[in-house]
Amino acid sequence: MRAVWRAARAAVRRRGLQTLVIWLVALVSTGSIVVALGLVDAATAPFDRVFGKQRGPHVVAAFDRNKVSDDRLTRAAERSGTAAVAGPFPQATMEIPRGAGDFGLGGEVTVVGRPGPGGPVDRVDLWAGRWPTRPGEMVLNRQSDWTADDLGKQFRVPSGPTLTIVGFAFDLSDTADVWVAPDQIEALHPTGTQMLFRFRDASSENRLRAQLAEVTAGLPKGTLAGAQTYLSLKHRVGSNARAYAPYLMAFGILGILVAVLIVANVVGGAVVSGFRHIGILKALGFTPGQVLTVYLVMISVPAVLGCALGTLAGNLLAQPFFRFVFTGPNSGVLRDSVGIAPWVNVLALLGMPFVCVLAALGPSMRARAMPAARAISTGSAPRTGRALGVQRRLAGARLPRSVSLGAGLPFARPARSALTLAAVVLGVTTVTFATGLAATMTGLGTAGTHAYDVTVYVGSHRHGKEVRPVHSDREIQSLLGSLPGATRVTARSDDDAVLVGSTQRVMFEGRRGDLPLDSVLARGRWMHRTGEVVAGSAFLRRNGVHVGDHLRLRKGGREVDLTVVGETMLDNDRLIAGAWPTAVALMPDVKPIAYHVKLGDGVDQERYARAVRAADPGLSPQLRGPNNITRTIVGSATALTLALALIASLGVFNTAVLNTHDRRRDLGMLKSIGMTPRQVTVMTVTSMAVLGALGSVLGIPLGIAAYELVIPRMTGAIDIALPSYMTDVWHAPELALLALAGLVIAVLGAFVPARRAARLTVAEVLRSE
Amino acid sequence: MVDEVGTGETVVRLDGVRKEYGETVALDGLSLEIRAGEAVAVMGPSGCGKSTLLNMIAGLDRPSGGTVLVHGENVGELNEKGLALYRRRRIGMIFQFFNLVDDLSALDNVALAAQLTGSPARQARRRALELFEELGIADRRNAYPAVLSGGERQRVAVARALMNRPALLLADEPTGALDSRAGEQVMDLLLDLNQIGQTLVLVTHDEHLARRCASRLVQVADGRVTGEHSLEPSA
Ligand SMILES: Nc1ncnc2c1ncn2[C@@H]1O[C@H](COP(=O)(O)OP(=O)(O)OP(=O)(O)O)[C@@H](O)[C@H]1O
Ligand SMILES: [Mg+2]
Repeated sequence: MRAVWRAARAAVRRRGLQTLVIWLVALVSTGSIVVALGLVDAATAPFDRVFGKQRGPHVVAAFDRNKVSDDRLTRAAERSGTAAVAGPFPQATMEIPRGAGDFGLGGEVTVVGRPGPGGPVDRVDLWAGRWPTRPGEMVLNRQSDWTADDLGKQFRVPSGPTLTIVGFAFDLSDTADVWVAPDQIEALHPTGTQMLFRFRDASSENRLRAQLAEVTAGLPKGTLAGAQTYLSLKHRVGSNARAYAPYLMAFGILGILVAVLIVANVVGGAVVSGFRHIGILKALGFTPGQVLTVYLVMISVPAVLGCALGTLAGNLLAQPFFRFVFTGPNSGVLRDSVGIAPWVNVLALLGMPFVCVLAALGPSMRARAMPAARAISTGSAPRTGRALGVQRRLAGARLPRSVSLGAGLPFARPARSALTLAAVVLGVTTVTFATGLAATMTGLGTAGTHAYDVTVYVGSHRHGKEVRPVHSDREIQSLLGSLPGATRVTARSDDDAVLVGSTQRVMFEGRRGDLPLDSVLARGRWMHRTGEVVAGSAFLRRNGVHVGDHLRLRKGGREVDLTVVGETMLDNDRLIAGAWPTAVALMPDVKPIAYHVKLGDGVDQERYARAVRAADPGLSPQLRGPNNITRTIVGSATALTLALALIASLGVFNTAVLNTHDRRRDLGMLKSIGMTPRQVTVMTVTSMAVLGALGSVLGIPLGIAAYELVIPRMTGAIDIALPSYMTDVWHAPELALLALAGLVIAVLGAFVPARRAARLTVAEVLRSE
Repeated sequence: MVDEVGTGETVVRLDGVRKEYGETVALDGLSLEIRAGEAVAVMGPSGCGKSTLLNMIAGLDRPSGGTVLVHGENVGELNEKGLALYRRRRIGMIFQFFNLVDDLSALDNVALAAQLTGSPARQARRRALELFEELGIADRRNAYPAVLSGGERQRVAVARALMNRPALLLADEPTGALDSRAGEQVMDLLLDLNQIGQTLVLVTHDEHLARRCASRLVQVADGRVTGEHSLEPSA
């Protein structure tokens, strides 16, 4: 065994460059796989973890308090064999005017009377203060990354009691905005009864609805006022991360393929070019098994080291990425509970070395089986007939001889060239895919950014006090339009209302002016007349509404009929937008909360903002910043693309190293008859550029196919429809540039070995053979 | 000592040439002059520096000391590209183990030498074919090295060396890998070439062959010239 170890160590030392390549390939590919798989996993796992910990309700149901008694509900739940039940809890709704001192509540608030935070279902996380025990106390539902500064402050319910904040609790399932003690709830005039269910089979919406129907079967008709399953919550919470999943999957799969190919190529090449060495070992008396071991050790040591370091690097790199993905109103809560799942690390640490060893096994078995005499005499593999034919045709071609010689080289080693080609193809596929993705994402990120430049909010804060504008609404709009640089101004209101026929609250956005604001129209047209609205794909899908359908909204006892005339690219599933007269019809005293200003070309935004503040201190202008999600996707796609292109280049590098090593003798001879160093470089680079060019021809269509596969799934996951101009990303100039990608990958990989070959000392080479 | 057989001007002048490989001294202040039209045979025990000497003249390696002048050009001072062009224009080299490119036909192996200088393929092949006819291997022109006999391979190598009409033909044990009959044929070929004016430097272990075709014999031992005498070329 000592001899085996010593021989393997010597082999590694003699093949410094190859060992380095194996190590690098293992490192980069393991790193990318860890990031990719980690994120794919994180897209679903953290929700399940937090939801499981809170024993979240599979169904949150509200019953009509006037139609069914608590006792009857309890009995119905017991009879139907649910897994666990919490409630009945009385539930009330409070209208709270929006404004200072409402602790972020505002609008319609759900209050539930509940004896404590625990129980068999929905164990809310009481992260500050204590649970209310008597009238006059309340707990607010708030994420724990907020402040608890408001503890002890008081809040007066309009035409109701005054409540003191005694605690903050976080409930992922959002069953209430405010909790009070059961004694308190009567004073708030409850109209509903809340029941929280966990069912045995929570696999699908249909199964959940069916089990809920069993519970309500014996109850009078119309007692169930509304019910929501956890699936829609899960969908909402994970949507950001889920949007990344298909694209990360694509990168992950490409990464694994490239890695496996390159590792197989590198390892196989190491064994093939070691045939002489194998013969010598056997002549020395190494048994076939020992030869096999020498080669496996030679490959495994750098591969395992690379995989270990790659896993570490992947874990480190994923952290900032995770923080980005799990940001936002619906996913921020999960940020602390995400990380690379252990199975990903285990897979990377065991799977990748396994792949490497597997790749080494084939050629190593060949080495094991080879008779010593043949191994020694096989200086180079026998040439095939096809290779000779190609060389013959190239010899007469009207090309510089160094170029035509190089072009023929890949045919001398078809298997090695094929593996290298496959790696280049995948490299080009990745670059193509990522380029398309980046173009679409940039389109998405900049969509509507040209619509306006500055948002001016109503109200500002000075020294901790709120300052209201001195001008009236109409005055502000004309003031903003008259300040130097402004071209157009659109006012925006934002109020919640109830979608008649469901328990859902929606946000109605009124617009006065003709800027399209953030959203880009995916289908239909913009609203023109009173009663016409547009909504995001997410909203339409969630409510089963299509362009052309009618809706009815209720606000403060007033109801209006609306027609959906367009689908926008908004990913907000609660927002619908209409023109100002529509907003007035719904809310006669509607007031804008912000004004969006479009500036002329070349106008300094900062300067305009200063002018706004000077004109009315009660206004806070905000300049448009870049879009983080887009930056993250584009940035990470770029990073992963570079990593995969690097791996592909390393594959080419390795092939070029092996080829020049195999052909040292020919190179020496060519130099002895007067081939200049430059001609040697040209020849070697050409031999790989042929593969690069071929790689582009095959890789570009594959990359486009991958794009067509991934983009619809990505946009589907976040419920947006893309207008066609964002998905038409392939044009002649881009394709020409992509065609260069394969060439660049190949030339980059070949250049260093080519230079090494060019510098060979002839006397040395010819002597050593 | 000036030799009577060498009638032309001096083509090669080595002056105190040293070559060290680490501790090993391959050439130890070797001086030698070769005139146009000469056929010089270099002989000496194994490891005395014969191949190193040829490599110095061929510009395949650089001396550690002393000067190598070929046609007045200081070979040691040329850069890599200069050396390549020098080899291309002035030197034809023949090796013990032929050194042909396996995946090129015999004709393309030879044409290659001219194509590297930028000659069009057709012209290069025509010139190669002329040489094949002269060397009596025209019928083997489309064969690949693997199927050629040793003697045929060496004749292809000679054709390649002559392709660019070199001033100097250098041969390092050209018969070392051949049986005696094939060896004699190659030697005859070299002798014929010398007789039509080709300057020739030949390293060999075979004194009989050396006497048959060389006009001067140089003895080398421990990296120095230890003896020289002119020979009557046998007719
Ligand atoms: N590239 C090299 N590196 C190290 N040592 C070398 C190198 N080339 C030659 N030598 C050493 O220089 C000395 C002369 O070598 P050279 O090849 O010139 O001998 P030679 O006379 O041609 O021998 P032979 O008749 O066996 O071919 C030897 O001791 C050899 O080991
Ligand atoms: Mg020698």
